[in-house]
Amino acid sequence: MIEDDGHYFCCNGCQGVFHLLSDQGLDGFYKKLGNEKLAPPSQQYEDSSNFDAPAFYERFVKVNDEGFSEVSLIIEGIHCSACVWLNEKALINMDGVIATNINYTNNKAKIVWDDDVVKLSAIIDMIRAIGYDAYPYDASLQEEKANQERKDYYLRIAVAIFATMNMMTIMVAQYAGYFSGISESVKHILNMGEWVLSTPVLFYSGWPFFKGMYYGIKTKTVNMDTLVATGSLLTYIYSIYITITRSGEAYFDSVTMIVTFVLVGKFLEALSKKSIADTLDIMSQHLVSDVKVVEDEAIVTKNVNDVAVGDIIVVSAGDRVALDGEVIEGSGNFDESSLTGESDPIFKESGDNIISGTVSVDADIKYCVTKDYAHSTMSNIVSLLENAMNNKPKIQQLANKLSEYFSSTILLLSLFTFIGWYLYSTNFEQSFMIAISVIVIACPCALALATPVATLVGLSIASKRGILFKEAAQLETMANATVLALDKTGTITQGRPEVVNEKIYREFDKALLYALLLNSKHPIAKAVATYIYEDDILCYDVESLKNIASQGITAMYNAKMLAGGNAKLMRTIGLDVQTDTDNSEFYFAYGGELLAKYELFDMPREDAKEAIANIKKMGIEIVMLTGDHLQSAKKVAALVGIENVAAELTPEQKADYINTLHNEGKSVVMAGDGVNDILALASSDIAIAMGNGSDIAIEVSDVVLLNDTFSSLYDSFKISRRTFRMIKQNLGLSLVYNGITIPLAMAGYVIPLIAAISMSISSLLVVGNSMRIKLGYKD
Amino acid sequence: MDSWVIGMMLGVSVFLGSIALTALMWAIKKGQFDDQEKFLNSALFDDVDELNDAAKNEKKRAEARKKKEYRPE
Repeated sequence: MIEDDGHYFCCNGCQGVFHLLSDQGLDGFYKKLGNEKLAPPSQQYEDSSNFDAPAFYERFVKVNDEGFSEVSLIIEGIHCSACVWLNEKALINMDGVIATNINYTNNKAKIVWDDDVVKLSAIIDMIRAIGYDAYPYDASLQEEKANQERKDYYLRIAVAIFATMNMMTIMVAQYAGYFSGISESVKHILNMGEWVLSTPVLFYSGWPFFKGMYYGIKTKTVNMDTLVATGSLLTYIYSIYITITRSGEAYFDSVTMIVTFVLVGKFLEALSKKSIADTLDIMSQHLVSDVKVVEDEAIVTKNVNDVAVGDIIVVSAGDRVALDGEVIEGSGNFDESSLTGESDPIFKESGDNIISGTVSVDADIKYCVTKDYAHSTMSNIVSLLENAMNNKPKIQQLANKLSEYFSSTILLLSLFTFIGWYLYSTNFEQSFMIAISVIVIACPCALALATPVATLVGLSIASKRGILFKEAAQLETMANATVLALDKTGTITQGRPEVVNEKIYREFDKALLYALLLNSKHPIAKAVATYIYEDDILCYDVESLKNIASQGITAMYNAKMLAGGNAKLMRTIGLDVQTDTDNSEFYFAYGGELLAKYELFDMPREDAKEAIANIKKMGIEIVMLTGDHLQSAKKVAALVGIENVAAELTPEQKADYINTLHNEGKSVVMAGDGVNDILALASSDIAIAMGNGSDIAIEVSDVVLLNDTFSSLYDSFKISRRTFRMIKQNLGLSLVYNGITIPLAMAGYVIPLIAAISMSISSLLVVGNSMRIKLGYKD
Repeated sequence: MDSWVIGMMLGVSVFLGSIALTALMWAIKKGQFDDQEKFLNSALFDDVDELNDAAKNEKKRAEARKKKEYRPE
């Protein structure tokens, strides 16, 4: 505890921040914090000068109309509204900063500044000085566009709902008058009111339909928009004619209802679309941007783009490798699981190749760059990913396919009705009214609502069970899937080894082993440590620790040697051990005596076998795609009951495998968790990510299993199929309904009033039917 | 009841309603609802300081803009 003028601080960092804030007159921050607790400012950041690099400016900084610079940042460390306040205030108080706007919900900030007065690096330094960190993201057009589209819908729906609600109150009077008598002048006034209300709905809220119709005509296709636009426009014109001539009934209410219902359906679809832009933001965050380069016997930090082939780069334990290269000095283990799916770390020494995207577990090495950044494995994957995501197969939704035929049929029928009636009765008004009633009764409200409502119910059930569908249309795609491709490490298995067998040769103090294991980052050591951990385990101090690469660790305690590692280490210290399993082994010896042996294996998830059997029963073919060796892949496959195994695949080969399945006309669901799966995930029809998978895999995926279990994978199949069945039922229902009412309308038995009422009933039927998805999911 | 009374009442209520609708649409367009947290918190952060800061920033922005315009290129 540091005391300073009556204030107490946990560390120098906090004290520094406090003084910085007081100097700027921002100490109101502490009052605004309320009950929020602060953590000390975390780490020291490297140089921010790369934010001033021309390449950075070119990519992320925009110059706005007024000549100021603009950048979009994601600010890390924001956890309360006081943080937002502090960041905004601290930045706006800087000379040259013109405007800041930080969004609390997604931590995205937009900063406008005068580049002649202050540089971006100074702004970043300020954010870091007060204990936050910032990294840029490309506020690319796609995301902006999606937000714009959403806002546009809000506005149109606000108008539509406002008008519909007012319309309803007028309609109460109209219908009451229709049944019990109403004076012509009052009816005329009410009609005028309806006219005023329906005009903005048709021409403002309904504008997307007219646009859709226009594009439809241009590409010579008839779509749902055509039917909605023509139907509502004709009804509107007819109603104006009725209002002006003061004869018959006006149907402005049908116009607003049709537009409002179908617009809401359209909005629900647009709402659930995800943007590719966000995914690539996360991806670029995963890429290493700076590396330590040896230059003139000193180590300097360089941007990856500035590193040339032949440069020497230093990698320490825990670092992620940014460029491909060849080790020239040092040795150690690398975790390649993100690229190959191999669960055990790989030992690399002088002369071995190292690949970008892998992580050093315990290696401190120097390596020589053999490929520049743009050609390194990791950035190749990013560009391949971008490609795959833009070319993702899109299966046309059933409702859209259907509506094409439906719309053109109805329009033709209505035309025939008009001609037929006109020839038969030569009464223009009557024939026109009957033709209108055909369109109104066939209004695709039920058709338009059939899919969105059903999928919405499906989505809500799924999300309650921890299954997150990112886009509603995916339920339909998933219901039609025929193949399920599974990754091994991290998806079928836990992704980390677990102790499956313990053999104690002589009783010993577990705390000794624990003290030894705590000093290793190797997954096997970690797994054994978790296995032997007890709440009240003692903590011994061990001395002269030594990490022996790809063998284990040794240390001294009470002048006797502790050794923990594989069989090779035991042989090195003079102990003869027999290995007789293909599981990973961990031996522990103390003072030259072998005390215990642990066998470890990356076990499949508990519910995997059952879920896989259930999915098979649904008639879905299952394949396992893994970068791991065939032997261990086969072993896991046998445990969970998968016959088809493709092993030793690179990320690209996995994607190719999926594409081959596509070419055979199959639709593929891929479940994965790691960076090595993302290409395959992006190529598949439906990508499923495990909740504990890497950020990128989750971003690329269409479905995320939050609770990380295999049974929810089975559930997601079940729910999607059930939802799709409901969609089909809904479509069938509305078609049958139309099949009955359209002939009646054509025969002139249905006046538009009844058509309008029956339209609402058909919509209610569809909504009611969709609710049935919930049956059997009572939780 | 004369029908013009109905007409007038209809007109007035729709007019009043449309004022509220316009206000809502203005707010949506301006991005008032983009960040619901901030939207709610802005009610809390309304000291004299905040107002002073806002006025100061307005001034600063105007000055910066002026400087940009007069700068000989």
